Amino acid sequence: MFYQQLINGLMLGASYSLVAIGYTLIFGVLNLLYFSHGEVFMVGAFVGLFLVLYAGTNIYVALLGAMIVCAILGALAFFVAVRPVPKDRPLAPLISTIGLTIILQNLAIYVFGGQQFSFPETIHQALYHIGPITVSSVQLFILGVAITLMVALWLFIERTKLGRAMRAVAENHETAALLGVNVNRVVLITFIIGSGIAGVAGVLDGLKNSSVSPFMGLGAAVKGLIVMLLGGLGNVPGAMIAGLLLGTIEILSAAYIGTTERDFFSFLILILILLYRPTGLFGTRTAEQG
Amino acid sequence: MFGGLIDNYTQSILIFTGINIIAAYSFFAPFKTGQVSLGQAGFMAIGAYASAIMTQKMGLPFALALPIGGVAAGVIGVIVGFPALRIKGVYLLLLTLGLSEIIQVIILSWDYTGGAQGFRNIPFNRHTIGWCFGLIVVLMIFFARLERSSLGRAMDSIQQDETAAEAMGVDVVRTKLFAFGTGAAIAGLAGALFAHQTTYVDSTTFNILLSIEILTFVVVGGGSTCWGPAVGAFVLTLLPQLLRTFRDALELTPVSWTNFYPMNRIYDFLYDFLDFENAKRLIAFGVILIVMMIVRPDGLLTRDSMRWLSLARWSAKHA
Repeated sequence: MFYQQLINGLMLGASYSLVAIGYTLIFGVLNLLYFSHGEVFMVGAFVGLFLVLYAGTNIYVALLGAMIVCAILGALAFFVAVRPVPKDRPLAPLISTIGLTIILQNLAIYVFGGQQFSFPETIHQALYHIGPITVSSVQLFILGVAITLMVALWLFIERTKLGRAMRAVAENHETAALLGVNVNRVVLITFIIGSGIAGVAGVLDGLKNSSVSPFMGLGAAVKGLIVMLLGGLGNVPGAMIAGLLLGTIEILSAAYIGTTERDFFSFLILILILLYRPTGLFGTRTAEQG
Repeated sequence: MFGGLIDNYTQSILIFTGINIIAAYSFFAPFKTGQVSLGQAGFMAIGAYASAIMTQKMGLPFALALPIGGVAAGVIGVIVGFPALRIKGVYLLLLTLGLSEIIQVIILSWDYTGGAQGFRNIPFNRHTIGWCFGLIVVLMIFFARLERSSLGRAMDSIQQDETAAEAMGVDVVRTKLFAFGTGAAIAGLAGALFAHQTTYVDSTTFNILLSIEILTFVVVGGGSTCWGPAVGAFVLTLLPQLLRTFRDALELTPVSWTNFYPMNRIYDFLYDFLDFENAKRLIAFGVILIVMMIVRPDGLLTRDSMRWLSLARWSAKHA
């Protein structure tokens, strides 16, 4: 029973991690809270749903399609709501991305209506029994895609020239620019990568819950923020581990304490981290800088 | 109070505008010391529930329950304010967000006030509009006087640079706590007014979206003067209603003007454009927020525009 819940928690945590990676990447390079990320996630889920439902593609194409559309959406978001807004006022980009969040959510409601869509069964359903644990093929698929993406991203950040440029920009804009990094381009690429990953996370979430709705963005956004903080702002591997951790804690508290208390625990963790370890579990920044 | 003067629809719009203005001031108080809170809806919830318990369960009159709601939220605000002193910026934003979510979960699982079913049958207060606008006048006087007082200047200096303010002898801890507690108390009052107007509240009434809305009131109105929050809340609450009025006005156009080409097309286009159903209206709202932050990131009313306004008044007097 315990191991079973542990596995369920990891599944939930995998999608938290993917959302939080985008947040933490964007926070890392721009030092701003980008609020529309949850809605990008929602758009990704809808793109995946429609590719599967109407274009009849398989799930891999749907994932790729959602990734591409969301990457474009992320670039658009950057050009529309982040870049033109003055940087010296910390609240201005927050409000403009809140504006974009409202636009995207209501556009989805306007186009699709306020109802839920059920996500079709695209993966062959099968159950695998490993000792006391039962794992479904969908769960394995979700976990596999999430982990592949995370490893790929980690390699990209650590091993490629562009990844190094991203880390340099996250460290300090001026210094990076002096060393010949095109800061604006790196920021744009960060938005593209973060949003693309959020799109994949959206499709995976649709698969997991077998439903998609225009309202799924806000919850993902809030959970993503908590995970970002738990892992340390701007810390990508931190966000990956913290997501899995939060998912596990939520599922375990829901299983052993109660479903109403599930959210209570995630927010309690948020507050405790903020008060006692504001750099996150693995982070490097301090609350004073935030 | 104005019972005979205006119809119920207008009255309820005015009441919710008033409550939004009060809520905007609740955000403004901590904001003056640089504390940005995304948890004002949580404090509104405390005020709403505390006052509703007083009127519905204890049978106290509203006039007594309203300050109790405010004090309850204020006390919790000060308790929360202590740990919040240590953190800033995004961290404080997330802390207040988490707190208001925890308040929601507590409400949801508290059976005494109805739990998930919500708090029903809160006594309706017929004089909400009077209370609202009375309170707004008090708040405006309070913040206008605060702006010119030493405490207000201390708050401004903390917002600019906390370390420098401390070095100049400002008691940063006390000032920030005062600001946070005052903000929470004002939010409690707004929540109490809200609960006794709608007569029903539940755990989702005071959600994160409401906190976000309150934040946008102040940023759009302008957070640097004491008039900004009122202007922001007023404009953003009434804007959708105004859009509806434009369409009503359009309907008054005589048919003989619009029953030929191309006037009929223009009329139809305008009519459809102004036919703001909820989703479309909110999309327009989002566009306005983005444009606003690009064009006027300091809000509608800034210190400069206030100076300009008073200059205009002065020159009119001395012309």
